[in-house]
Amino acid sequence: MSRRYDSRTTIFSPEGRLYQIEYAMEAISHAGTVLGVLAKDGVVLAAEKKVTGKLLDLSGAKEGGYGGSGEKIFLLNSNVIGGVAGLTADANSLINFARTAAQQHLLQYNEDIPVELLAQRLCDMKQGYTQYGGLRPFGVSLLYAGYDKQYQFQLYHSDPSGNYSGWKATCIGANNGTAQSLLKQEYKDDIEVKAAISLVLKTMSKTMDSTTLGSEKLEFAVITLDPETKLPKAKIYRPDEIDQLLQAEGLAKKEEDGAMKS
Amino acid sequence: METSFAITGKDYVIVASDTTAARSIVKMKEDEDKIKAVSPHLLMAYSGEPGDTIQFSEYIERNLRLFHIRNNYSLTPSAAASWIRRSLAQSLRSRKPYSVNLMLGGYDTTSDTPHLFWIDYLGTLAEVPFGAHGYGSYFALSLLDRYHNPEASLEEGLEILKRCIDEVAKRLVVTPGKYKVKVVDKDGSREIEL
Amino acid sequence: MSIMEYNGGSVIAMVGKDCVAIASDLRLGNQALGISSNFQKIFPVTDRIYLGLPGLATDVTTLRERFRFRVNMYTIKEGREIEPETFAHLVSSTLYERRFGPYFIEPVMAGLAKSATGGFKPFIAATDLIGCLNFAKDFVVAGTASSKLYGVAEGLWEPDLEPEQLFETISQTMLNAVDRDAYSGWGVIVHVIEKDKVTTRTLKGRMD
Repeated sequence: MSRRYDSRTTIFSPEGRLYQIEYAMEAISHAGTVLGVLAKDGVVLAAEKKVTGKLLDLSGAKEGGYGGSGEKIFLLNSNVIGGVAGLTADANSLINFARTAAQQHLLQYNEDIPVELLAQRLCDMKQGYTQYGGLRPFGVSLLYAGYDKQYQFQLYHSDPSGNYSGWKATCIGANNGTAQSLLKQEYKDDIEVKAAISLVLKTMSKTMDSTTLGSEKLEFAVITLDPETKLPKAKIYRPDEIDQLLQAEGLAKKEEDGAMKS
Repeated sequence: METSFAITGKDYVIVASDTTAARSIVKMKEDEDKIKAVSPHLLMAYSGEPGDTIQFSEYIERNLRLFHIRNNYSLTPSAAASWIRRSLAQSLRSRKPYSVNLMLGGYDTTSDTPHLFWIDYLGTLAEVPFGAHGYGSYFALSLLDRYHNPEASLEEGLEILKRCIDEVAKRLVVTPGKYKVKVVDKDGSREIEL
Repeated sequence: MSIMEYNGGSVIAMVGKDCVAIASDLRLGNQALGISSNFQKIFPVTDRIYLGLPGLATDVTTLRERFRFRVNMYTIKEGREIEPETFAHLVSSTLYERRFGPYFIEPVMAGLAKSATGGFKPFIAATDLIGCLNFAKDFVVAGTASSKLYGVAEGLWEPDLEPEQLFETISQTMLNAVDRDAYSGWGVIVHVIEKDKVTTRTLKGRMD
């Protein structure tokens, strides 16, 4: 008898709520923080990596690839970067879907996919998983930082229900409430990328559990316009570049930590 | 026989097509409009198999409209051309391919440039400064090689178009009687009386 | 009338000393009628690989789009650029997928492969329309002028040409071969690929 209900993963509760979706969102609010700030001339994304063990092999992240350690921040297309919070396995499948969708658009129209359309594509799928039998929702929220000709720089957020919305600055994952109120205080409408980077790092350092920031706990990316080609340029920082950036912003670790690392 | 021309100028594209609807050797109609404004800044002249032309051009028109409703902006001429080409290329390897040839003239409002695309039923796409389909193309293209000026004003452009039409009238055995001429520029598309 | 000659066009690739070159004509025709004198048949795949697609023009565009899709997915997932050998097999399998309803294209590719010592090794290859690979050591040709290209290249090419000499050799080969072919010509484009740069030049040809 119970199978009649279990095979439908998401049905309304008598109070009119969809518990599975709420549980999924709950799972995300324990995940590592991802923070995005939209600036006049670019978008900045930063993410906190949760658990790192000493034995985890990170050599792949140091060289090769397009930057980043491939845990929280991914290149979705040449004009969009994505930050994920939630179940990593679910996220991987969504990222693969996003990349394919972006290429599909390029194939059809010979143009990079608009940022909102990419968010829509993912949300269509996420929504489907809240409704059809035998499926559980994706336990993932995403931030999309991107550029397209029509609406210039944009920052979107999508959640497991398939809802999405555009933001000037937002945050998902653990402590997102604190971060968002900090961002609300500090954000200015005509902010530029340089200031946005500082704002992101400052907010990040306040919301993260650890007192000092370092590349083993942080992923970082910026999307700007290439001054020469006028095309979007997505840059996902490598671990050593993150440390350099933190040094420059005066948020790096103390000397003794640095000695330990070498 | 069916003929269509298109010419780009300084900030416009002229698209012209004959107005005959023929069946075998019989003219059924002399005022058929074979240029469709598929979106506000995009004109499409179509020729080929009678049923296919109408069906295909309406399919394109409705899908571009649907794209606009869904996404709140129109495809650029080059994006639309890529999509249309793809539709034809896919159709080519289907059970019953569309046999439709197109001249696609558009004005890109994002970069303020006119664009013209030559597309055939195989899905061949080429961006050209001027182009033509049908038997008239054998006369018009060589004339345009000599007289086309990408910086020409609209009046000059229409003069060149007239030369093409007159040449076809003079030399082609089965000459189309009347032409419909449309222009697309920054203000959208409109019909012009020659 | 063969469908391979419907639109016309030719491509050639040559090996030099630590460099490769690839060239094509710029004509798009409808049998004998010329439509465009600026129809690109060679496309960059990565910074060090170029792909030429002579044959039926609709399939030039279709294949170019399909390869872009597959190479982009490879690059983003793998986190590195595709190697010429790998790409050649990607081309081959994409074409063989359509063994009994082929794309009417005979691809030619040129690139520099990373060697184990960290240097770069010249690489050229061509396939037929169903993806049978031909890894040549000197030059490969395809398209409506292929028979003429073979003849001229056979006479002009020699081993270990420097980039500038290779450019001269491939340009003369192309220009003279397409002049003897009614379906190719209307200008020539040449890419010379070296380890740190690609030089692209457009040559004026006879317009008849």
